[in-house]
Order: sequence, then C-alpha cells, then structure tokens
Amino acid sequence: MFHNSSQRKYWIFKSEDELEQMRHRANQKFRNKIHESGKAAASASVFLERHEEEVLFRHYERRLMDFCSIFKPAMPKSVVGTAIMYFRRFYLNNSIMEYHPRIIMLTCAYLSCKVDEFNVSSTQFVGNLLQETPAGQERVLEQILEYELLLIQQLNFHLVVHNPYRPMEGLLIDLKTRYPMLENPESLRKSADDFLTQAAITDAGLLFPPSQIALTAILNSSSRAGLSMESYLTECMGLKGDKETLSKMYDSMRRMKTLLKKYELPKSEEVNVYKQKLERIHAEFSSSNKRKRGYEEDGHVAKERRLEEEEWTDEDLI
Amino acid sequence: MEQYSILGRIGEGAHGIVFKAKHIETGETVALKKVALRRLEDGIPNQALREIKALQEIEDNQHVVKLKDVFPHGTGFVLVFEFMLSDLFEVIRNSERPLTPAQVKGYMMMLLKGVAFLHHNNIMHRDLKPANLLISSSGHLKIADFGLARLFSEEGDRLYSHQVATRWYRAPELLYGARKYDEGVDLWAVGCIFGELLNSSPLFPGENDIEQLCCVLRVLGTPTQDSWPEIVELPDYNKITFKENPAIPLEEIVPDTSPQAIDLLYKLLVYPSKQRCSARQALLHPYFFSSPLPAHHSELPIPQRGGRPPRQRLQAPPADFSLDLPLQSSVVDPVLLREHASCL
Repeated sequence: MFHNSSQRKYWIFKSEDELEQMRHRANQKFRNKIHESGKAAASASVFLERHEEEVLFRHYERRLMDFCSIFKPAMPKSVVGTAIMYFRRFYLNNSIMEYHPRIIMLTCAYLSCKVDEFNVSSTQFVGNLLQETPAGQERVLEQILEYELLLIQQLNFHLVVHNPYRPMEGLLIDLKTRYPMLENPESLRKSADDFLTQAAITDAGLLFPPSQIALTAILNSSSRAGLSMESYLTECMGLKGDKETLSKMYDSMRRMKTLLKKYELPKSEEVNVYKQKLERIHAEFSSSNKRKRGYEEDGHVAKERRLEEEEWTDEDLI
Repeated sequence: MEQYSILGRIGEGAHGIVFKAKHIETGETVALKKVALRRLEDGIPNQALREIKALQEIEDNQHVVKLKDVFPHGTGFVLVFEFMLSDLFEVIRNSERPLTPAQVKGYMMMLLKGVAFLHHNNIMHRDLKPANLLISSSGHLKIADFGLARLFSEEGDRLYSHQVATRWYRAPELLYGARKYDEGVDLWAVGCIFGELLNSSPLFPGENDIEQLCCVLRVLGTPTQDSWPEIVELPDYNKITFKENPAIPLEEIVPDTSPQAIDLLYKLLVYPSKQRCSARQALLHPYFFSSPLPAHHSELPIPQRGGRPPRQRLQAPPADFSLDLPLQSSVVDPVLLREHASCL
C-alpha cells in the first residue's frame, strides 16, 4: 500500500526547488571530491554544469526508455516505471560525473526486473543489447552486477516503487461503476496513457503520489476531449464541501502539467558536446575506482581489503 | 559492521550465514543475516530482494519479525533482525509432553494475527512452516523468512512459481502445478501447522511431491468437480489420477481435540483456495473464545536453540501483562463479532 510505503515516507519531496538543490549538491560533491584528491588542478570548466548534466541525464533516460520498450520479452509498464524511478532517485544524490549513466541505467532496468518479478535471466537481459557482441554483453553484465549493490544502497534499500498504472486502472473502473455521466470512460485511456508515459520522465513521481498522477492523467485526457469531469471530484470523491483539499488538488494538477510542458527533448548537438565532456571526466577522474564495488562513504576500497572480504566465513567475523 | 560484535553462529539460511550479534551501542542482541554476492551469476538473489521488499514496506507488527536495518558489507550486505531464541519447529520437537490445548490456541492466535497482518498488507508469505515461525524469549511467535514472500495484486494476470512452500505445508493447488494462486496457500499452511500443533507430528508428511498429494487426498478424500471445481484447470490435473477414496473425518486424524478446533481445521483445509477461512475471520472463530482460553505468551514453552529440553518455569510468570495495556486492547469489541457470527 502506498500509504505506509517507503516511497511516501522517503521519496516524495516538497518542491521542484528541493530536488534541484539536491542535484546541485551532488554536482558540487563531485567537484569537491576531485579538488580534495589533489588531482590535477582541475579548472571549473572541466566539469559539467548543472544544466549540462540535466541534458545528458534526460538523454540517457530516453535511452533507458528505448531499451525497455524494445526489450524482449515485452517488459510490463510497471517494470519500466520502476526502472526510471530508480534512475531518477539514484541521480538525486549522485552526479553523472561520478557514475556513468550508461551503466547505471542498465543496472536500474536489471534491478527493476528482479524486484518486480519480471523474471529474465541475466544472459537474456544483456542479450537485449543488440549492438553488442556476445563478449561485449558479457562485459556489460559484469559491470551491471558490479554496480547493483551500489544502486540498491543508493536507493537506501527501498525497492518497492508504486507506479501510477494501477491507480489509473482503478480510476477507470470507478468511473465505469460510479460515474454514469461519462459515457465511455475507455475513450480516455489512450491520452491518459500518454500522459503517464510523459510524466514518468519528469519529476512528477518524486513530488506526487501515484494516485494523483493517475487522476491528473484522466482529468487531462477528459478535458482534451472537451468533457468536464469536475462533478466526479465534487460528487464521487466527496470533495464538494472540502474547498481546501479541492484547491490543493487543482494546484498539484497544475504543477504536474507544467512539469510535463516544461520537458524539453535533449538536443542532439548539445548531447554530443556534453557527452565528450562526460567521457573526458570519466577517463580522467574515475579510472582509479573503476573496480570498486562501491560505497561512497568508504570509497577507498583498496585491493587488499577486497581480498580480505572475499570470503564470508565466521572466522574473519568473530 | 563495526557497530556489532558477533556472539556466535545461529545457522545457515538459503542465502547466507546467520549470526547472533550484539549491537555495541545499545547492547541489544540481534540476528545478522549475511547475503554474500560473490559467484552469483544473477547478482543479488531474488530471495534477498523479496525479503527486503516485503519487510521494508510494512509497519511493525508484533507477530512479524522486524527488519531493523540493512547495510552493505564487503561484497554483499547484511540484514539485521531482532534476535529470536527459538522456533516453533523446536517447540514441537522438544516439548516433552504434547502442548496443552490452551498453548496450541495461543500459538494459533499469534500465527493468525501475523498472517492477517501480512495479507492485509498484500503480502503472501508462501513458505509458512514451523521452522519459519520464530519464538522470542518472551514466548511471542513471529513470522520470519520472507525469502519467498510476494506482494500480490488483484490483477490476476501474473504467473507465479508453483515450486514454493516446503512440501508438507504446500497447498493442493500448488501440488497440481498451479501458477496462479492467492494468499490461500498461506491459509492451507496455517491449517497444516494447526494440525501439527494438535498432534505433535506433521499432518501430511509426504516423502515426495506425488506422495504429498496422496497424503492430502487420503485424508480429505479424492477431490471431485463438486468439491473442487477449479481442479480441472490445473496444469497437472490430467497427469495423475488417484484411486478414489472418501474423506476421513478429521476427528480421527486429530483425535482428542475439541469440536471447535476441528471445525476451524475444516475451514482451513479446504480444496478450493477461495473457500478457505481468511486469517481475519479465523481469529473470530468461537475456538478462540471458548475455554480453555488461549495461553498468554508467558505460559508458553521456550526451548533453547540446539535442542536442549525446555526449561519449565518454576515461578509463576510475573503479572506484567494486561497491566500496561489498555483494557480495550485485550477484549474483543462485540460489534466486530456480530457481522461474522452468522458465517461461523
């Protein structure tokens, strides 16, 4: 249930500003880390600015969507939704300069398949990387498994994601049973679906509960079809006398729509320029910790320690 | 990890070793379940993910073991649980005399409360068995081992694996290879555990999957299309036929048992999953409201791990119960009973 979920408790944020601040901090954290490491007097221009990061983030997010949409066997929507949510949660506190989104996006998809019980084997999973040779796929798999633990840790072990797809089904059923004024609720589905697909690649899921996103999708779809559904909110949802909740809800819906409207496709020329920058950053700064299994905090996982921890017997614990 | 000092080894779980440890700061004893990730070609095992998933999303319940923390360690991670002294398997195996009717009732009540809570949270455990029902040092029963737990939804289009649940407690639809099932599989297991508590020996101890089905059919009678309409749709229905035999009255299977206990058992061990009495309903069964009343947790045996005979308490337990609890929480609101009274 969403009500007592980790999503509601830890992953719904107050405002767009709060999210931006977190991302800004992540960017800054990476810069500081490089400066502290005393590595080459890196000039500020080497790093990606926030808006540059944002463009690349959206680029890789779309690639993640593309990967999921052509995945075989067909990936259920909720698996895709969860993967994207993981991706967004991960980069709230981490910069793409620190962890390359190319591998994180695949790790998100891989973990999402497992968590959502969409059972594909690891070989089957990387088999979907059509442009890779079998040996290449093997390498990617190795990387995915290497980053899986980092990902789940950065998600704070909160694995269950509530997507708006089920609430939308529920709302459609509710409309059919309790709102005869609307003749054909199914006609709202197509455009509401599109809304949800769009919403998934915005911050909507980090700001609003899934049921509200679904409701907005439905209402948006109906207003586009020229149907007014206000009485559904006032009569069926019992909000008639509750002006305050009603106006709050309208406000959320407006904010959501703005989010969707504001979304800009990453421009390919920008992407190419920033990508080069990103590759340079990764080549220059992260070679030293390539092999780390990774925990941020004790980032200095040296070789000796890895060996030591390879075995999990009681001897080395007691 | 530095926060804990290891006190010893408790056992080996499906995906790692379980240690007894002490949280240095608070002095609290905990169980650390370590999930190692080396040499796993699919990465973090599904069972570990399921366990985290199920336990992270639910609020505390007295009858579900608490996941206190998860943290990474070495090449894997560690799940921190409250430490539990024993489990129901040990209790059944080690008690020198059969459990008293009141004790059985006490365990059943705690088990059903836990199951009702899980089902209310859309979690089916799928592997209920005495060894997964842990007993705390205060005698409380708590459901553990969520390695097979699944969040279920009403959508009904997902297929599940039928290779779940330890054989003796596996519901008949699973034995027939069902890939779509519901929380009824847990209720069947509860029925089996109930029978086992009453008899001090497993109800359906099949040696293999076929024999398991035999055991069940011998007692409940061969299912017919009347008693179990859905059976014809099950994958393995046509693969095997059994000689027809009538049901044996449960009174003979579980002798010397009160009629109310038998009645509740009948309501749980039903072929069609949907007809099994839900955990919530079961808690309102007259069985729990008739003499002898369910034993308080302090009157239950607590065997030590490792099979030493249970220590009998010499003194009467301190009367700490009911004193610090508001009266409302220890009596049942009659209003709640009314609506169910007819169906029981």
